[in-house]
Amino acid sequence: MRTTDIVFRQEFPVKGGDFSRAGEVSWAIKNLLKELGLSTSVVLRAAIATYEAELNIIMYALEGRLVLSVRPGQVYVVVEDSGPGIEDIELAMTEGYSTATLEMRELGFGAGMGLANIKKNTDVFLITSEVGHGTRLELTFLTNGQKP
Amino acid sequence: MTNNTRHSVQINPQRCIGCVHCMIACPTKAIRIKHDKALIIDELCIDCGECLRFCPEDAVESKTTSFSDLKAFPYKVVIPSTVLYGQFDNATLPNEILFALRRVGFDYVYEISAICELNNSALEMYLAAHLKPRPLISSTCPVVIRLIQRRFPSLCEHVVPIEPPRENAAKILRANLPRMTKVPASNIGIFHITPCPAKMVSINHPASMEKSYLDGAISIRDIFKTIYQTLHQNKEDTIMSHLFPETIFSGTGVGTALSGGETRGLKNHRTVAVSGVRDTIRVLNQVELGLLKDVDVLECTVCPDGCVGGPLTVENRYLAKSRILRLVNMMGERTVVDNSDMSLLYHKDFLSFHHPIAPLEPPPLDENPIHAISKANRRNEIFQRLPRKDCGACGAPDCRTLADDIVRGQAAHDDCPFVKKEET
Repeated sequence: MRTTDIVFRQEFPVKGGDFSRAGEVSWAIKNLLKELGLSTSVVLRAAIATYEAELNIIMYALEGRLVLSVRPGQVYVVVEDSGPGIEDIELAMTEGYSTATLEMRELGFGAGMGLANIKKNTDVFLITSEVGHGTRLELTFLTNGQKP
Repeated sequence: MTNNTRHSVQINPQRCIGCVHCMIACPTKAIRIKHDKALIIDELCIDCGECLRFCPEDAVESKTTSFSDLKAFPYKVVIPSTVLYGQFDNATLPNEILFALRRVGFDYVYEISAICELNNSALEMYLAAHLKPRPLISSTCPVVIRLIQRRFPSLCEHVVPIEPPRENAAKILRANLPRMTKVPASNIGIFHITPCPAKMVSINHPASMEKSYLDGAISIRDIFKTIYQTLHQNKEDTIMSHLFPETIFSGTGVGTALSGGETRGLKNHRTVAVSGVRDTIRVLNQVELGLLKDVDVLECTVCPDGCVGGPLTVENRYLAKSRILRLVNMMGERTVVDNSDMSLLYHKDFLSFHHPIAPLEPPPLDENPIHAISKANRRNEIFQRLPRKDCGACGAPDCRTLADDIVRGQAAHDDCPFVKKEET
């Protein structure tokens, strides 16, 4: 068996609209990555990116999930939701652009940094979205220190 | 897994009956029950004292300074925490308490509120000179420091690099008492009166310096009765203490025992005060995620409502809080610290840490990343087969932790009574 075949995989469901549990998935992922012995900087980048992704699902989608896969050398997270989808991805990626409602902002969320912040903290960032169906993110974090 | 050697709480095996109260209460899952006795895991314990609060058998003991330990020092100095002022009735003023401490046998009683104010001004200077990182985290609660070292290593550099008031007070006394009193430095013992056991571990194993300036910490619980009796037996002392006050209290410093008391003096900064161990863990996680960058100073105290809720206090914390608030109102905004003195001490680095706080992370599942991944997988498989009742009967606080202990080779599958029953 090649070392790249060795993988730890765990799925974390996220319920849309459930602000009271916001951050639980990212907290679990953060602790898991620490237990796997990854460096603090990788753990933090993954924690921040998954926190933002988790919040996006809670804010905009009905439901979604994060699937974490850890292999030697890389952490890979797929974020999928069944939500409204994003019409203009480029615009959504702009720092400060937000479609958050007043209610969300009152809770302290929706500053319009989410997707940009996710991208900033990942080594490889892929986003695909279909309006009316949902959004899918693929986040890769390299754990042996080198940027691609 | 090593047994508790350097912590401020210890289990008395004669009293411990091996129930699960302390283990379930522990916020860092640092307790296991082995052979019907509670066992504290050294690397995980942060000295918060939750176990001490929850033990119904009084089997968790704090390793604070005893009265017999004081005998080693011919000249005894005491620096009581301001929490002590809230432990007696409303009619008992701080000066009377300080006077009583003298009568109890301390040669020198030092009132700390001025140093609390001094620290506050130093923090103000530090904030102005260092725009990053934000938020800065107060260094006063030793448990918060230990929590950061173990669970939030990236926040080590956020800790305000100024020693807490109790250490700075002791440092000032060490520098001046031998000259003032003509007592040789080696004969002087300086002790804190503490509301929590964590101060003791910060003295025996300091995180930010080689050696503490304090020689020990006496628990409020231990000394309360002695002070109480002295207060009642020597009524004329009351008059004397009013006519000849020991010190001038600082209005901004006297409230530091309450959550928010430290940041109250920072009028021109955005501050957040959090108390309680679980909320502290929650907010530190938020800081690590970068969510509190718009806050200048974060004050965390792991005891509910601040030090006034410490596990070694005597008085119910709501009453103690109300009394201290009354003192704060009485003393108002009175300041006693001369800004130029403070500035001098600050620029001489007199108030600073010797060295930065270093991370002390618990060991991963395995040093080898490939083995760690396999162990994480095995842990999930084991967890799936556990009953998820989190009853603690196996000796671990919950099923997830038992699964973790099993893959780390520190527990067996049939430690779980439900699994064992199924197997037989």
